[in-house]
Amino acid sequence: MIYHVRHQTIVRYASPVRLARFNLRLRPAPWTGQWTSDYALTVDPIPSAIESRPGAWPVNVARLVIENPIRQLTIEARFRAGVDNGAQIVPQPDDPTIATVAQAALLDRDMGPSAPAHYLYASPRAPLLAPIGDWVGAMLAPDRPIVAAALDLTRRIQAEFAYEPGATDASTPVADAFAARHGVCQDFAHVMVVALRLAGLPAAYVSGYLRTLPPPGRPRLIGADAMHAWVMLWCGPTRGWIGFDPTNGVITHDGHLFVAMGRDYADVAPMDGLFVGGAGQSLRVMVDVAPEEETALS
Amino acid sequence: MAADALAPRASGEAWADAYLATAPAGDLFAGASPAMATRWRDMLGRLSTQAQGDPATLADHVSRQAIDLGMAFRLTGDEQERSWPLGPVPLLIDAGEWAQIERGLVQRANLLERVIADIYSTQSLVRDGKLPASIVTGSPHYWRVMTSTPPPRGHHLHFYAADIGRGPTGEWRVLADRVRTPVGVGYALENRLALSRATGDLLGAMNTRRLAPFFDELRRGLAADCERTDPRIGLLTPGRFNQSYAEQAHLARYLGLLLVEGDDLIVSDGRLFVRTIQGLKRIDGLWRWMDTRFLDPLAFDPKSRIGIADLYNACARGGLMVSNWPGAGVIESRAFAAFLPQLAREMLGADLLLPNIATWWCGQGPERDHVRARLDNLVVGSAFDQDVAGLPNAHFTPGSALDDTQRTTLLDAMARRPMDYVGQEVVKLSTTPAIIDGQLAPLPFTLRIFVARDATGQWRVMPGGFARLAAHGDIRAALMGRGDMSADMCVIDSKPVPPDSLLGVGAPAIRRIGGMLPAKAADNLFWLGRYIERTEMTLRLIRAIVGGSIEADLGPSLASPTMTRLVDQLALWGAIAGRNGAIGPLCATALGDARRSGSVRSLMAVVANIGEGLRDRLSSDFWRLVRLPLPAFDGQVTETLLDASSRMIERISALSGLAAENMGRTEGWRFHDMGRRMERAINGCRLLTTFGNDQASADDLTVLLDLQDSQISYRTRYLTGPALPPVRDLVALEPHNPRAIAYQAARLADHVAALPTLRADGMPEEPRRLADALVARLAPLTGDMLTMDDIYDIEARLLRLSDAIGQRYFLQLRKTQTPDLLS
Repeated sequence: MIYHVRHQTIVRYASPVRLARFNLRLRPAPWTGQWTSDYALTVDPIPSAIESRPGAWPVNVARLVIENPIRQLTIEARFRAGVDNGAQIVPQPDDPTIATVAQAALLDRDMGPSAPAHYLYASPRAPLLAPIGDWVGAMLAPDRPIVAAALDLTRRIQAEFAYEPGATDASTPVADAFAARHGVCQDFAHVMVVALRLAGLPAAYVSGYLRTLPPPGRPRLIGADAMHAWVMLWCGPTRGWIGFDPTNGVITHDGHLFVAMGRDYADVAPMDGLFVGGAGQSLRVMVDVAPEEETALS
Repeated sequence: MAADALAPRASGEAWADAYLATAPAGDLFAGASPAMATRWRDMLGRLSTQAQGDPATLADHVSRQAIDLGMAFRLTGDEQERSWPLGPVPLLIDAGEWAQIERGLVQRANLLERVIADIYSTQSLVRDGKLPASIVTGSPHYWRVMTSTPPPRGHHLHFYAADIGRGPTGEWRVLADRVRTPVGVGYALENRLALSRATGDLLGAMNTRRLAPFFDELRRGLAADCERTDPRIGLLTPGRFNQSYAEQAHLARYLGLLLVEGDDLIVSDGRLFVRTIQGLKRIDGLWRWMDTRFLDPLAFDPKSRIGIADLYNACARGGLMVSNWPGAGVIESRAFAAFLPQLAREMLGADLLLPNIATWWCGQGPERDHVRARLDNLVVGSAFDQDVAGLPNAHFTPGSALDDTQRTTLLDAMARRPMDYVGQEVVKLSTTPAIIDGQLAPLPFTLRIFVARDATGQWRVMPGGFARLAAHGDIRAALMGRGDMSADMCVIDSKPVPPDSLLGVGAPAIRRIGGMLPAKAADNLFWLGRYIERTEMTLRLIRAIVGGSIEADLGPSLASPTMTRLVDQLALWGAIAGRNGAIGPLCATALGDARRSGSVRSLMAVVANIGEGLRDRLSSDFWRLVRLPLPAFDGQVTETLLDASSRMIERISALSGLAAENMGRTEGWRFHDMGRRMERAINGCRLLTTFGNDQASADDLTVLLDLQDSQISYRTRYLTGPALPPVRDLVALEPHNPRAIAYQAARLADHVAALPTLRADGMPEEPRRLADALVARLAPLTGDMLTMDDIYDIEARLLRLSDAIGQRYFLQLRKTQTPDLLS
């Protein structure tokens, strides 16, 4: 499947800000089963510097410096991406057990950006909260096959947590979202990452996109009108990384477009940074992910 | 009991004998060689003579020196600094034993450097299976973004500190490695200073090795890795609320480094600069006293408020020395201790000269089984010094201390996440003599020893250290625990130690001006001046109200409108809530009520607070004055209020005297004096409009002269009582009256004229223009033509000038972080 993606962000500041420095993490990092082309970033006003660098994780970071005072900033990323993950992944009876995967992760000698060792421990936005472990209970018992167990957890989060845009924001601690059993994709992904790491498994936080309109006859997925977040779980050296989307209760497939992976939201936040001055700001985000055929028709 | 034998005023021999009778096996003194035992006895003899045989006197004497040095610290959660608990009896270690410790620590520093370098470059140790990847990634101080970002000259480490302990049989071992910040090195230096001040020539007579050369080497070592030959190096502090801020400020002053916070610094085009009143000045190196995560919010922790945006870029670009290099903290994890003995053999081809505490990392199957099986004989701890399940609120628990439930919980948690735990052998520490409750008694101790690179990159070990004497509990956690004491540690040579020549070959080029003035320090100095001046005027108001005038009949008979105006002025400044109430209690509130932001107590607290941020620039005399408690007073007894306000005014005068006579005529002094002048001039305008307006009574004018400390000047000029034109002339316009507004304006103009300009075109900057215009505005006026409109105009000009000084010289930065964008 080939997509055209357009992601526009407009930030308005109540009073002028200056010396703004931003990190943008909008350009998809390379990932198995996916390619990107024709990536174009437009920023208005034109920054004094844009500099790209690879991040510590599978993340592309663009550094943006705007020296002059601004009241409004428009950022637009456009690209073409193809996704071909082959057959939809489903749990297999001979999948490795959780204990086997946890042990393999501890012995793995990789230190690359997607090495499982990086995703085993607590991270700033994903503290290992004991109540989440208690809630998961035996669902992640050591002898369970890993894909089936993780899919159960994915579905359980979808079933037990209320999707409530506005109930949380990007800085809501995972403990709060967990206690209230509500939130958005980011909160659900954090809860799941914590649950998996508590079981000794390497779990990562992924940002990406969903296709805006579903294929005919299929329900529209939640989270398609903005950037989406889900979870990658390392399922042993053979199975590798598998995506689980707790917002929609599914294993990811060709409708999920990978942008970046890190230990938690902070590693892959689409935009963060610093500026001088200014108090209030408002934000508008528009995302459009359309299959190539549709674009051709319009 | 032996303690009974240790009667007060016992001789040193009696101290020693009584101590040795009770000291446990392996005690540092009791176990000393005959030659060293003689040194111990000599030392105790001298200390005893000095204290006239009373150990309590000795302890008091040394702790007074510590207070005089301004030594202080905070425990986590402390609002106020605590005074420093320094024990008077140093630990003595002979040169031979010390040489072995030195060799062991130098070897260890080399090993750690190589391990860190490998982790952040080729990662061959991990690839070859010598080091598990998950032991590297488990550290919260591992920063993958630092991979392939090598430090200048390949030095990830410039300093290294080790906590070492001595077992009962006299063997030393490493308890912990510290490379993030060398907390304690400044305290070690201050302990030595305090002890040598308190004990006269004792240390020299014992052939104690000197510490100063080490610090000189350390400074040269930092400089050697900087790009420029005469580099500007900053000591980067997290700020005045940090536990070791006092230590950092002291070290910066001692080493001649610029004490800077993140706000002082800016990265531009990949270079690091400090914001000074002369504009941006390049910084060549940073000795950071904050964790990597806080260094740069755009590269490490986006929540950091104390870092420097893009410092990472400056590191990656090259040409910036940062000590220790970001990410070096990765090897601090306890879990590393399990691998270092083997890594020493692999990488150095030798065994560790100083063993570390035996450690088993549970991330490996056989080690985990070992820890589970021997739980009762081991200490279980967090592998990465994080909160972990089963070890609530303590990163360490002896297995034997767990009850059945706790044990089950811990073993369950360990089964799920074994990599979070280590088992370590139980360490028995030997003891050293200390004075507790007026008695010489043995206390277990650890030593923190500091190692630093010299200019050639070789490791030097500080011949001394920070000794921590444990009151109880786990001695491995922080620098100091509640109830702990510290002590100096002396390395004793067999021959006298030659004093260092002060005219050594390496003496720096002579300079006659102090370093540059960071914008924030200028800001703080200015406001320090303003607050001190405001405090003084508040005190003068209080004194005028309670009757401190030289007019014998003023106090009781002060016409009530004048009194009301005085009280109203206190209310206007927030020293009291309003004019209701009796004079005594009102004045007591204005003096001592911490809830009123304008009370003398509150103002002095602000002075102390601002002064904290200038710790590297203010003398200990300043601190002593600011820290003195308010004199006692009673709101019902007028005399006590009068006495208290007068004594406080004397203290303020002493502060003024220190500034006038002891501060170098640097730009820093100018900003401090400008603050005083500005506040005094603005207050002068306010008082003139209140007590010197066209309706002013004789009482009003008397009070005005009193508040402006101009009574005597007036009397020497005029034989009549106060009259409006001459009073106005004296307190507003007379250029020779140091309390007059015109005098302040002239001083302000002098100061801004002497400050550096950023303009290359020779045109005056805004503060200069405003100050000169103000002086010109005042010059033609005389007391008989001065109107209230003139005063309003002058006050408005002063406020504009104050703003212009702030705009031009101070930090105008209030960083805001973008809220994250929600997906």
